[in-house]
Amino acid sequence: MAIRVLLAAVSLSALYGMTSKRISRFTLLASSIGILGAGVAGLVRGAPLSVIPGILTASALNFWFLGVLGIVASMSMWYRLGYPDHGRTASVWLPVFILSMMTVIIAGNAWVFLTAWETMTVSSFFLVVTDHRKPGVLQAGYVYLVMSQMSAILILAGFVAIASRLHSFEFSAWAAHASSMPESTKNLALILLGLGFGIKSGIVPFHIWLPKAHPVAPAPISGLMSGAMIKLGIFGIMQFLLLDLGHTDRAWPLALLAAGAISSLLGVLYALMEHDLKRLLAYHSIENIGIILLGAGVMEIGIDWRQPSLVALGLAASLFHTLNHSIFKTQLFLAAGAVERHAGTLDADHLGGLIRTIPTIAVGFLGGSMAIAALPPFNGFVSEWLTFRGLLGMASNAGWLLPMYGLGLAMALGLTGALAGACFVKAFGVVFLGEPRKNVPHVSLPKSMTWPILTLGMISLLLGVFPAPLLNVLGQVYPPSRLAQTAVPGGMVAPETLIVAAILLLGTGAFAWASGAWGINSVRRWSCGREADPSLQLTSASFTKAIRTTFAIVYRPHRSFKQLGQHAPDFAERLVYSGGTTPIWEQRVYRPTYRWIWKVSHLSTRIQAGPVRLYLAYLLATVGLMLAIAH
Amino acid sequence: MLMLIQFAGILAVLITSPLIWGLTQTVKARLQGRHGPSVWQMYRVIAKNWRKDTTAPEFSSWIFRLAPSVSLAALLAVLTSIPLSGKSPAGWPHDILTVFFLLALERFWMSLAGLDSSGTFGGLGASRTSTIGTGIEPAMLAAFGVMWRLHGNSSIIPLAPILIRAPNGAVAWGFAACSFVMIMLAELGRLPVDNPDTHLELTMVHEATILEANGRLLALSQAAMTLKFSIIMALGWTILGPHTASPWLNLAFLVVELPATSVILGWIESRFTKLRYFQLPTYLSIAAGVGMLGFIFLGGSNL
Repeated sequence: MAIRVLLAAVSLSALYGMTSKRISRFTLLASSIGILGAGVAGLVRGAPLSVIPGILTASALNFWFLGVLGIVASMSMWYRLGYPDHGRTASVWLPVFILSMMTVIIAGNAWVFLTAWETMTVSSFFLVVTDHRKPGVLQAGYVYLVMSQMSAILILAGFVAIASRLHSFEFSAWAAHASSMPESTKNLALILLGLGFGIKSGIVPFHIWLPKAHPVAPAPISGLMSGAMIKLGIFGIMQFLLLDLGHTDRAWPLALLAAGAISSLLGVLYALMEHDLKRLLAYHSIENIGIILLGAGVMEIGIDWRQPSLVALGLAASLFHTLNHSIFKTQLFLAAGAVERHAGTLDADHLGGLIRTIPTIAVGFLGGSMAIAALPPFNGFVSEWLTFRGLLGMASNAGWLLPMYGLGLAMALGLTGALAGACFVKAFGVVFLGEPRKNVPHVSLPKSMTWPILTLGMISLLLGVFPAPLLNVLGQVYPPSRLAQTAVPGGMVAPETLIVAAILLLGTGAFAWASGAWGINSVRRWSCGREADPSLQLTSASFTKAIRTTFAIVYRPHRSFKQLGQHAPDFAERLVYSGGTTPIWEQRVYRPTYRWIWKVSHLSTRIQAGPVRLYLAYLLATVGLMLAIAH
Repeated sequence: MLMLIQFAGILAVLITSPLIWGLTQTVKARLQGRHGPSVWQMYRVIAKNWRKDTTAPEFSSWIFRLAPSVSLAALLAVLTSIPLSGKSPAGWPHDILTVFFLLALERFWMSLAGLDSSGTFGGLGASRTSTIGTGIEPAMLAAFGVMWRLHGNSSIIPLAPILIRAPNGAVAWGFAACSFVMIMLAELGRLPVDNPDTHLELTMVHEATILEANGRLLALSQAAMTLKFSIIMALGWTILGPHTASPWLNLAFLVVELPATSVILGWIESRFTKLRYFQLPTYLSIAAGVGMLGFIFLGGSNL
């Protein structure tokens, strides 16, 4: 009951915020906290709830995602209190966006789900194009809109495929009967829904909208989109494909795992080449969605091969990583927004040394970097550990295919983790450390922009050291009884994080104290005898040079070196160097497809000549044809 | 009792690690026809640096000042996680994946320190450390492929006794050991991956990241470097080495194994030249491939 009232209050306060700009900031913060509260309360209560029977219902999985949405939204809205406003757009569309995400999560039937899903897309489109006067923003917004529409159409088709077999649009009926559908319907639903939700969560090769749309939006909105919205694609995959459909053809989990591995690896590889901080973070979202899918794939393997320990590991890995990624990605996006506000640019190669001007943001960004690179004692470590355990659990199976596949995926994940570490050494090092590369004017930041970042960092540290309570809650999502099996042996597993964290913190403190780290004076650095200047430092391009060369097959790096002037090349007046990587997906896949669609739609102009008589004739012909078929 | 043995082992490794390092250096010197420094030299170097005044380069922040401490603490956590006597006390961390991530943590902070020194060489070292790290992690997972194959979880347990009984186990053991040694050389920054004795900045990897460190920061970095040397060897021996039922005896094995390995390492190092930096991905892929061979051989035996 209390949760019902809470959700109603959330909706009211969010909508009330639309009336006034100033009030909206506080009511939105309040309603976001309300969503978080509803999620936590639902999980603590531990029983399904129907808010409005058949229309809005929630069980453990929904409450978990409500919690994810709530934590991201409340921190972003807190941060937004001190963030420069962007006219009426944000204050009108933000409440709609947050409410539609909430409705997607607790929707009880397909119509509510799809309506909310489309509202979410449209409102987020308007939020993405908030700064529509800047060049490129509208184009990024349209790419996002088109991809989202494709996703919505596929999801609708998938829903219809399930509903036509079960004769019901109620999700409760799907949960009860979808697992006994024939294989062919299941396969159709898997393809359609998998693609639909995959596009929305940005898996490779449907990722191109993500690094375009996320960076152009204002920071709190990037945080919401990356932290919460793309997770709803994962929510769809978990809810409909894994929990509802249940046992499927054995090829599907393998495909899901492959999609996860490819997304995670390519996501991090593309991120490494970025020097725009927000684009880099957007690519890391693709990487982390891939890691979440690896967990989901392990779970599906467990369902299909009837291995409860894999189900438990995969479920915990994917859902816990969903939460963790929401936390540290929001933290990083908010910190990136603070950098942009402070220094006026996000281009890493113009920044440097920000740790001295915004030390607290630097701490927040460092915490987020360590969490996303899966380093102990932060939360990303625990969920990646669980994913590894799931994949390596596959490796101990009998036979050939599955173990080799598990080892290969684990190695891909290991490579991803290490590359993510390298990427965030680069991101943090180039932006925050060293000598400033350019003299840019600095704007001081309000406290309400710093505290949400640090709070998220504290949460991520806390979850990294004490993951057990949350992991136990996750057991509700997929009761072991569904596999006709008693509880998972030994309950949920987790690494002994507490002792490791204690050694790390105490050890660091002791050594730092003993070496008198805080009293060390700075002297001039050594630069082989020449005058030191900022250009001696590595840039983000030079830092990743070796990786670019090693993975040349992915990047297709190109460079040109021109000598200009009257007597070039012997006495060149000016040297022009340019280099970069080739956007393979856009050149080889999207541009040809786009051209092809353009041609096909151009053909249709031939039958669309314009005169009304012609259209009447078409109408007549259609009616005639239908009558002929009907008889 | 196990706790006592574990702590005895940790203490022993901590105290002797500069000596183990010194052994390798002495062996290398002898094989090169030099007399070389005493095996105790590393103790003296660390003590000398500890007594010196410490400075940091301009524009460096607390990251540079804290990094050696974090790296040493991370290695301490790794050392704690290795069941040196073959069996860890109840509730004590003994997880190989945690060890990998802790080593990544060490690499992460040393790379940051390199970038924080705001010079070219620190940055080069950071870039190289991170890049080599990207090859090491998947290769490590492959090297311990036999481990996942045998029990599917990530606790560090002595595998040799189980492997010997498995069909094709000896072959799998050989591949795993071979792969591990190759990765160990990369992780420790020894030849043919990195030359710990080089004084040419352009070829340095680990030395470049700590080029600007001096005094106590340098002492901590050197202590971490020598400690890592012993730790990685101990990790390999614990998993792939001989094992008996008696924890004390297992610990005593290490007393022989570590010096012996460092002597052999000295010999290996004298036999190779440094690989070109851009050939390292190939080297690490070979290491990973060898590890996967071990996995495959064991896989064919229908356990």
